[in-house]
Amino acid sequence: MTKPIIEVKNLAKSFGKNDVLKDITEQVNPGQVIVVIGPSGGGKSTFLRCLNLLETPNSGEVDFDGQNLTTLDTKKVNELREQMGMVFQGFNLFPNMTVLENIKLAPMKVKGMDDAAATKRAHELLDQVNLDDHADAFPSSLSGGQAQRVAIARALAMDPKVMLFDEPTSALDPEMVGEVLNVMQELANQGMTMVVVTHEMGFAKSVADRVWFMADGYIQENNTPDEFFSNPQTDRAKDFLSKILM
Amino acid sequence: MKKKLILLLALVLTIVTGFTTLSSTTANAATDNSLTKVEKKGTLVMGTSPDYPPYEFQATVHGKSKIVGMDVAVGKKIAKDMGVKLVVKSMSFDSLLVALQTGKVDMVISGMNPTPARKKNVDFTHTYYQGGYSIVINKSDKGIYKDKDSFVGKTIGAQTGSTMYNESKKQTSGTTVKGMTSVSDLILALQSHKIQGVAMEKPSAQAYVANNKELAAIPSKFDLSASDTSASVAFAKGSDALVAKANKSVDQIKNQNLVNKNYLPAAGKYLKTNTVNTSMLHYWKAFLTGIEYTLIITVCSVFFGFILGVILALARMGQGGVVRTGLRWLATAYVEFIRGTPMMVQVMFVYFGLGLIVNLPALTSGIIAISLNSGAYVAEYIRGGINSVDDGQTEAARSLGMSSGATMRFVVLPQALKNIWPSLGNEFITLIKDSSIVSIIGVSELIFQSNIVRSDTYRGVAPIAVIMVLYFVLTFTASRILNYFERRMQHD
Repeated sequence: MTKPIIEVKNLAKSFGKNDVLKDITEQVNPGQVIVVIGPSGGGKSTFLRCLNLLETPNSGEVDFDGQNLTTLDTKKVNELREQMGMVFQGFNLFPNMTVLENIKLAPMKVKGMDDAAATKRAHELLDQVNLDDHADAFPSSLSGGQAQRVAIARALAMDPKVMLFDEPTSALDPEMVGEVLNVMQELANQGMTMVVVTHEMGFAKSVADRVWFMADGYIQENNTPDEFFSNPQTDRAKDFLSKILM
Repeated sequence: MKKKLILLLALVLTIVTGFTTLSSTTANAATDNSLTKVEKKGTLVMGTSPDYPPYEFQATVHGKSKIVGMDVAVGKKIAKDMGVKLVVKSMSFDSLLVALQTGKVDMVISGMNPTPARKKNVDFTHTYYQGGYSIVINKSDKGIYKDKDSFVGKTIGAQTGSTMYNESKKQTSGTTVKGMTSVSDLILALQSHKIQGVAMEKPSAQAYVANNKELAAIPSKFDLSASDTSASVAFAKGSDALVAKANKSVDQIKNQNLVNKNYLPAAGKYLKTNTVNTSMLHYWKAFLTGIEYTLIITVCSVFFGFILGVILALARMGQGGVVRTGLRWLATAYVEFIRGTPMMVQVMFVYFGLGLIVNLPALTSGIIAISLNSGAYVAEYIRGGINSVDDGQTEAARSLGMSSGATMRFVVLPQALKNIWPSLGNEFITLIKDSSIVSIIGVSELIFQSNIVRSDTYRGVAPIAVIMVLYFVLTFTASRILNYFERRMQHD
């Protein structure tokens, strides 16, 4: 069996008295697409943000590529973050830079790539998300779907081993959801390891290798999408599915 | 005789003397060789406040602005007798004694009278001039007022904190005494009939009357002791050798009546050349110097203030760890302290207080003080600007592997800067105006220059109007330039 690329052991996180993550132990293998679903406030986003240490866990460990992130110094964590691309619900593009500059910034400042190489790579990635004609636009002139595709290209520019998606389509108008999901599906087809927090059940069904159902601070169920949607094991999951599937 | 220290300065003096006591061992050891020190140096630095014709004032000699007057002649004589060169340093009267105590100047000659209070802090020579008081009135009122007792129900003006001011209060009854800081302002108030008379020294009164046909002088008839009307040279406390040497020169001046025979007529000649052409255009060089210094101070202070502000803002936002908490605490204390004390006091403290440790020129001191002050305000703007940048920006940058430093530098600060640009622009424009405060330590910026032009020309309003327009031109130009850059930064 292959070695897992992400391994989470007894992860717990609380904000003040609010225990958001209680005790999570799971693993992600290279090439897997994991879709995390569950009710709002169940800790999905917090869990995702613990994976690249945007949130510091209170206890437990997060191993990435065999290294326990929670025990590493800041410099090492920065290096490992390069290998985990992240896409946010609110895009978080840098508004004072053009699309091209948004993508080039990290490769040039972190990896020390020269301008020509970074520009070439940025155009390739923009081509991949079908936005090369918007290279010189500022983020404010983009639609939500376009902005999110730029954000994906920006994360890919660091050549990550894993991509984390935090509700990438939740802030989009319905007609723009498709273009973003298509890009994500293509990425999955290319073999990218992905952890996706989403409410898009169709995407979970067709693209995910595993579905993690998360509620009340625990991963309640870890199953294949077919099994999960047709034959959920826990009452909590049954209840959730009954509410969202018509 | 002339002005006494104002209360504010007394405060600074207290702090400064506090420092002196701390480092008194070195100071005391240095007193014995006061004369040898000056001789070795080859220069004798005289401090004076050149707004008091004919004692000391600025005149244009061969196209250059120069401090002249009978006190300068006295200083020259003393320096010549010591075999050294005289260097004249100008500053506000209130700052003179502090400058002497902190070693910024070797002696003070500024029509200063040796009062017992002053004698506690500095040493005086014998008197070189015995004057008296007059009251200057409008010529049209000549029949109405005869002396100090004619002003019942009226108002007499005098320089705030001066002996004249105190004596006018003490020796008149039923008369209001109005205090103002400069004689030029008092004359202006007189001419606009806000006050009916101005008490001042006889030679000054004569100079004003001689140069302004609408004024007249009447005897004051104040009852004064000799020490109230005499002028002496002041030296730092304990410099006996210097005082003894200077006394020889002063005695010669007295015995040969040099002041009345030579010095005053010579000063009168300068006064005449000074007032031949009182058009503001004639003084364009003085105003240009003012603009130059105002801009130097402002630009330097904005630059250093901004750097300091960024450092302070980052220190204030640091979190976790003993060092970071300590820095945050320090930065917060600094910002609160600077914002809670007047800039004027800060300027004086840097010039005189730091002057005990390192001898900084007035311009440098002014720039340091204003930068330190501006830094505290800029820090708050920047902190606000950084807080206004969405957390998502930081998270996005960190998720790309950028360090916290790189995130701040390449992502957060550029956006913060754009958000606070209008506030920073405001600060720049405020500094153009606030830089006028350094005039009190004798930096020749616009206000200082305009005061000189006012006392040189005996014209009260015109120079004020000129600098008002000049300040507006400066601030308006600055705000246009800033707007241009603001527009260029707009992307969303």
